[in-house]
Amino acid sequence: MEVLNNLAFGFSHALTLQNLMFCALGCTVGTLVGLLPGLGPLATISLLLPLTYSIDTTGALIMLAGIYYGAQYGDSVSAITMKIPHASSIVACIDGYQMTLKGKTGLALFTAGVSSFIGGTVAIVVLAFLAPSLGEVAFLFGPADYCALMLVGFVCVSFVTTGSLLNGLAMCMVGVLLGSIGTDVNSGLARFTWDAPFLADGVGIVSIALGCFGIAEITKNLDAREERSPFNGKIKLIPTWPEFKRIIPSALRGSVVGSILGILPGGGPVIAQFAAYALDKKVSKYRHEIGTGCIEGVAGQAAADEAAARTSFIPLMSIGIPENAVMALMMAAFIIKGIQPGPNMIAGHPELFWGLVASMWIGNCFLLILNVPLVRYWLSVFKIPYNVLFPAILFFCCIGTYSINNNLDDVFITVAFGALGYLFMRLEMDPSPLMLGFILGPMLEENFRRAMLLSRGSFDVFVNRPISGTLISLIAAFILWQTFGFFRQRGKAKELVVAPAAS
Amino acid sequence: MINRNLVRGFALMALALGFGLPSMGYSLGSLGRAGPGMFPFIVSCMLFAIGAITVVRARLVAPVPMDFQVRNIAIILGSLCGFAALSHFVNMIAGIVFLVFCSGFAGASYSWKRNLKIAAVLVGIAFAFQKLLGVSLPLY
Repeated sequence: MEVLNNLAFGFSHALTLQNLMFCALGCTVGTLVGLLPGLGPLATISLLLPLTYSIDTTGALIMLAGIYYGAQYGDSVSAITMKIPHASSIVACIDGYQMTLKGKTGLALFTAGVSSFIGGTVAIVVLAFLAPSLGEVAFLFGPADYCALMLVGFVCVSFVTTGSLLNGLAMCMVGVLLGSIGTDVNSGLARFTWDAPFLADGVGIVSIALGCFGIAEITKNLDAREERSPFNGKIKLIPTWPEFKRIIPSALRGSVVGSILGILPGGGPVIAQFAAYALDKKVSKYRHEIGTGCIEGVAGQAAADEAAARTSFIPLMSIGIPENAVMALMMAAFIIKGIQPGPNMIAGHPELFWGLVASMWIGNCFLLILNVPLVRYWLSVFKIPYNVLFPAILFFCCIGTYSINNNLDDVFITVAFGALGYLFMRLEMDPSPLMLGFILGPMLEENFRRAMLLSRGSFDVFVNRPISGTLISLIAAFILWQTFGFFRQRGKAKELVVAPAAS
Repeated sequence: MINRNLVRGFALMALALGFGLPSMGYSLGSLGRAGPGMFPFIVSCMLFAIGAITVVRARLVAPVPMDFQVRNIAIILGSLCGFAALSHFVNMIAGIVFLVFCSGFAGASYSWKRNLKIAAVLVGIAFAFQKLLGVSLPLY
């Protein structure tokens, strides 16, 4: 009952004309930018973050959330119609593109739109019920527990995004080190600034995000010299009743999977899509058709994708720890607006928290309206040649970076991160964990120093406390499992080489 | 052939040294009372260790060729630097025109007419940002 009252309170804030406008604008712009080749939710949010500086806190965050799930959906449209995926729409490529090849693009897009709506709705209910109670649990956490939780986040994100724990952890650490540039909070000493005054406040997250994702991504696309042909397929949107009946169970399964996996550290849309797809392949009545252009292959993953995108707000808003790179950017947006996400946020800013939750459902409705009947118009974006598009994206990168502090030095910092991002891309090192490390770095340092101060320099504090002890044991077990896996694989490879030689 | 795994390891070690050596210049303090250099020093040591493991690992697994094309990234970064420099010393309109014309060399084809149109539209957008959204841009 209390949740219903809170939701009603949230709707009273989200349904103001101004906030409705920001929500619609966020969803529209997010979908539009998300449709563009090479621009996923992370790049979209980093490109559009500066747009929200002049907007009030609730409106800005509602708009950013809209941009996030709008980009998420836009991404899946390009994956279904042209097999141009980003991290958040890899699975949509499999059956979605197969459906396009069969001339069922409209049905695939309708399925993705409706399933996203179902996934989003289920996730919002979970978010409304779970976030406040998780916030109370956060009060039990001490500095050592926070440290351990952040390390669990690093390990999970490293593994999920890069597939290699070592590479991912390295990128997290690079992010942590970049986060330490600027003035040390405890001593007031300027660290790693090399006497450059513009580095005294540290490096801006927008510069890093635009450099590592925007500029590096554009150059990668240009190196490929792919001529992306515009989509010319015909679209028939409305499904038959038997087709519709196939969408619902799969979308509901995907919603549950996505809602659960969205909450876990390192979870979020990518892993949720794969899990929902795998589940459908196991339990669906039409499991043998999955992979060949089947409705279930689109419905389950689309629902899981949207559900996870929304429930990933739970750890951010209740504990104050982002569990993936997109949430790290959202956290930056909260901090820029003077709000510290965490257990006190719900009590301290109820209108913001519940307004955001309510706006997510409103955004869900906007997305349904925008994407199901109007999708054929969105597809005209593909008709813009990349040669026209990329100078425009570079221009928006420059304006976005400059407008933060009205300082052209920030453009040079972005250029430096563009070079670094390109190097990382060529070395197959995913910059997503770097973003998480950069955001969590200062928090990790603060909690580490506090924990060590309380324990008088003894590392025992990390294993003696039940929460941190459990989390550290999980990390240790995971690292051991990975090391064991590497040597076992190597042993197998050696056997394969020796066996033919012996025979 | 340049082995990507090997370069990755060396790049990580270089980054670790880039932060680790200067961090020793700040006060390290003790673990119980950490100075400003302590935390970056610990993280740099861990990063250096991961870099070293990556180098050793690169020797154990099959080498992977590394593909690095300097041309496009140099054009893109050069056009961005030119944008910032021209915006600072002349004005942002000159910066935008330079950005479009210079970055165009990285595209699959080059057209002066197309670049002129793109530059005109982007200058229009910049004016819209300035007049409608109140973004402070040094356009002229």
